[in-house]
Amino acid sequence: MMTGAMVLTRDFDREDLFRIETYLERGGYAALRKALAGLSPAQVLAEVKSASLRGRGGAGFPAGLKWSFVPQADDGPKYLCVNADEGEPGTFKDRYILAHDPHLLIEGIALTCYAVGIRTAYVYIRGEYEHIARRFEAAVEEARARGFLGESVLGSKFGLDVFVHRGAGAYICGEETALLESLEGKRGHPRLKPPFPAVVGLFGRPTVINNVETLANVPSIILNGAAWFVEHGKPKDGGTRIFGVSGPVNRPGIFELPVGASLRELIFTHAAGMRTGKTLKAVIPGGLSAPVLKADEIDILLSTDGVAAAGSMIGSGGVIVIDEATPMISVLAKMTKFYSHESCGQCTPCRVGTAWMHKIVRRIAAGEGRLGDLDELIRLSENIKGRTLCPLGDAAALPILGIVRKFRAELERGMR
Amino acid sequence: MPKIEIDGRTVEAAEGATVLKAAESVGVAIPHFCYHPAFAPEGSCRMCAVEVEGSPKLELACSMVVREGLKVRTASPAVREARRSVLEFFLADHPIDCPICDKAGECRLQDYYFEYGLTESRFAEAKERKDKKVKIGEKLILDRERCIQCTRCVRFLAEVTRTHELGVVERGVHSEIATFPGELVRSVDSGNLVDLCPVGAITDTDFRFKTRPWFLKRSDSICPLCSRGCNIVIDHHPGIPRVPDSRRIYRIRPRENAAVNGHFICDHGRYGFVALHRNGRRERIGWAPSAGADSAPPWEQALDFAAEKCLALRGAGKAGRIGVVLTSQMTNDELALARNVFVRGLGAGTVAFADPPDGPAAGILLHAERSPNRAGAAALGFDLRAADPDALAGGTDLLFVFGTNILAAHPFERIQAAFGPIRTKILLTAHETDLSRLADLILPVAAPAETSGSFTNADGIIQRFEAAVVPCGDTRSAADILAGLAARLGVKP
Amino acid sequence: MSGEFPAGLIEGVRGLAARYPAPQAALLPVLHLVQNERGHLSTDDERRVAALLGLPPMKVHEVVTFYSMFRRAPVGRYHLQVCTNVSCSLAGAEALAARLEARLGIRMGETTPDGKFTLTGVECLGACETAPCLMVNFDYHGGLDEDKLEALLGGLA
Repeated sequence: MMTGAMVLTRDFDREDLFRIETYLERGGYAALRKALAGLSPAQVLAEVKSASLRGRGGAGFPAGLKWSFVPQADDGPKYLCVNADEGEPGTFKDRYILAHDPHLLIEGIALTCYAVGIRTAYVYIRGEYEHIARRFEAAVEEARARGFLGESVLGSKFGLDVFVHRGAGAYICGEETALLESLEGKRGHPRLKPPFPAVVGLFGRPTVINNVETLANVPSIILNGAAWFVEHGKPKDGGTRIFGVSGPVNRPGIFELPVGASLRELIFTHAAGMRTGKTLKAVIPGGLSAPVLKADEIDILLSTDGVAAAGSMIGSGGVIVIDEATPMISVLAKMTKFYSHESCGQCTPCRVGTAWMHKIVRRIAAGEGRLGDLDELIRLSENIKGRTLCPLGDAAALPILGIVRKFRAELERGMR
Repeated sequence: MPKIEIDGRTVEAAEGATVLKAAESVGVAIPHFCYHPAFAPEGSCRMCAVEVEGSPKLELACSMVVREGLKVRTASPAVREARRSVLEFFLADHPIDCPICDKAGECRLQDYYFEYGLTESRFAEAKERKDKKVKIGEKLILDRERCIQCTRCVRFLAEVTRTHELGVVERGVHSEIATFPGELVRSVDSGNLVDLCPVGAITDTDFRFKTRPWFLKRSDSICPLCSRGCNIVIDHHPGIPRVPDSRRIYRIRPRENAAVNGHFICDHGRYGFVALHRNGRRERIGWAPSAGADSAPPWEQALDFAAEKCLALRGAGKAGRIGVVLTSQMTNDELALARNVFVRGLGAGTVAFADPPDGPAAGILLHAERSPNRAGAAALGFDLRAADPDALAGGTDLLFVFGTNILAAHPFERIQAAFGPIRTKILLTAHETDLSRLADLILPVAAPAETSGSFTNADGIIQRFEAAVVPCGDTRSAADILAGLAARLGVKP
Repeated sequence: MSGEFPAGLIEGVRGLAARYPAPQAALLPVLHLVQNERGHLSTDDERRVAALLGLPPMKVHEVVTFYSMFRRAPVGRYHLQVCTNVSCSLAGAEALAARLEARLGIRMGETTPDGKFTLTGVECLGACETAPCLMVNFDYHGGLDEDKLEALLGGLA
């Protein structure tokens, strides 16, 4: 199922990959050994920074830079939260890492904690991944038993505890501050920023929050160096990424490709193109929150800048392929239902606006669209955009704007 | 002190102040719903968004801390549009209940709509329907359709009273405010929720449907129901040109005083104050029914009677047989007068006190001492000994009783038996109680809202207040009565 | 299941609480633990959890009503959760849902009279490559055409 440059996914076909014996046999935990043997935490951080590893969860913030915001002078407890909430529709890559290669993630976690001076990590796994969470916990136990976690990692002064913490069905908990609230046992209401989590995070302490795939890249960076990582990708956007392709393609699944690969190639080569009888109509390139691209707009490069230049975002790399037979109104209906269902309800524009838009779209989908409805959707989206407490507002507004603007003629044809 | 610019004006802001507070300090009001000075900023209503130079998005004034060189615009077109938009979102689901809503006339949503909105509604869908009459407290009703989810009520009970009795349940547009299933808000500070609610979502049954804020006059005063001395506002119908009616006091609300009560008052005072003025009032002078004489003598005659009795005993060298039961619910002026008349002037044998019984200190404000002026009384030299009916019975021929608190300390039969032998009993009270049956002369006294004076609270702070309303019927203030007595006795008041 | 928590459950709760510096942080894992054992979370369960973690009951109730996975009413032995999001919709999730409704004789959100199946719609399950996705309790099933669905339902005792 996986093609292209394989770093993260190279052994995903092996059934027993999740066992520590297999991981060690493949050379696992060598990066951690290397770091503890001869690199200072600051050196590890610098390497990751030079590697231009951007966050793989959706926001794309440079990981090393984020780590450097944690005040080192403060020697009280600090935390790492691994964002394994994977709620962005169209995204399923982290599931593979958690299920197939948990030790890769554990090693990435250990290296990150070493670099930033963190001794406790919580892996926030979405509630639906129950079985995967259990398996991951077993892997953590294996790692602890072998000395890769615990009070003294590999006999060093560095100690680390990793705990698995499960979510319970709330997309908003993928937003970093809502994740913190959820981890603290509360409703997933995002927090005001500033202060930023690096300074005031979990339990009020400096906290780093990173996506699963982001952390899974750290061991190879430490083993092979920043330059190697950058070369695999693009300057300022290094490495490979795992893209997920879903929709009516012949080979839906995950594909690891270098940053900057071609979207057209991803769909038509790696995912083996459209199924028989299906014609490409549109592509959502980065999870549902990324604005749609029309069929003639897919000749772009899959990098943070490349997709941004096309007016969308690489987001979580969840590529959703839409075919001609699918009415955009039905995509719009799913979209608006999703965001209004998942809005936490804290702030006015999102709470009221997403529900309002869903009501309009539902009416249109039921054949009761009215003149002015599309303009109203645009107006509401513009009133939500940039005015909400957290990015969910934009995540709803921008894709809706994208569909309404790019497929206006089709939507109007479907209305009275 | 960072120098910032607000709407082109240079302002020296306090270190660590928010943009909202800095603006407030120079008279620039920034509209807001969820912000309240007693809690941490929430940032959810989005109404206080302002333009900040260098920032691509609007920033929240309630939570943004000032820094040197900050340039803020609070009324630019972008800001006005954002405010209009927030109001539009609120009004999408908010029922236009104004004609039947208690909050009309003092509602933030109404006020801001007229100031920043004034647009036709473009919401053409079905409004969310929710429960409109949820009992959340003994006197509190929640209308979930009106609620704008500002969560001030939740945060008050979380951050101030720390009782966590309200919360936000469900998610998204289905979010609502609720108590734990089957529970009610029982905090003794719960009435503050009505004031905190910026719209008419939380109303109290005492005030519901009774009057309109624009009919009410507000007068500043001090709460007399415990020794905290919370600063209050009395909302009442103005006495002129309507017929004076002691039931025209409708409610009290907190008045901010950082040194005494902060932003709040307790329910004991809030509801007790109104009850004190509306329920069971005694407004007529009267002889005891058995006296058979004119049942409502004029004041002059009543005061003459009282003075004659005093003079008779003093003349016979028996001033020691005069007894007076005071109460520290009286103002400093009244207590000073009482001292001059009874202690220094007459040399009364018994000077005792009957105060409301102590209760449990509760919530964030309510003191155990349920009387406003014990500190004042003590400062005037009284020893505040409790009135003992039996002692009074033996040693008194002429007894003055101020207030009816003695009923709370002793069973009525005991008081009745003890008062039997006392030849003359003069009762000065604002309320009709069983005690009236025992008195020979009943003089109606003004209740606190009808009185001017001062109380000294438990921390020794002396707080003056002016009468808010004119007393009704024959009622006079205790100060007037004592002054009248002093004049007849030739005593310096 | 109702009544006081058995000792084993209480121990489980305490064990979870011990992994965090503040007991409130254990709330979601604890609620999962209790729900897995009791089938759903009653108001009394919320009180018990609150007491065990030293929290005001309101805070537990706020959390239970926020998260989609916490159930306040019993569900059938098999909770059939159909993803209704875009990728699954593109692969025929509506048809799958309709098939299930017809096959079980209930509408979305309902439970069969014999208490065996509850059918609900859920958001993206994170398995879009096997759309349309169905989660039975915690088990993921994808690519369900008519035959595979029949086989699946038949296999659920």
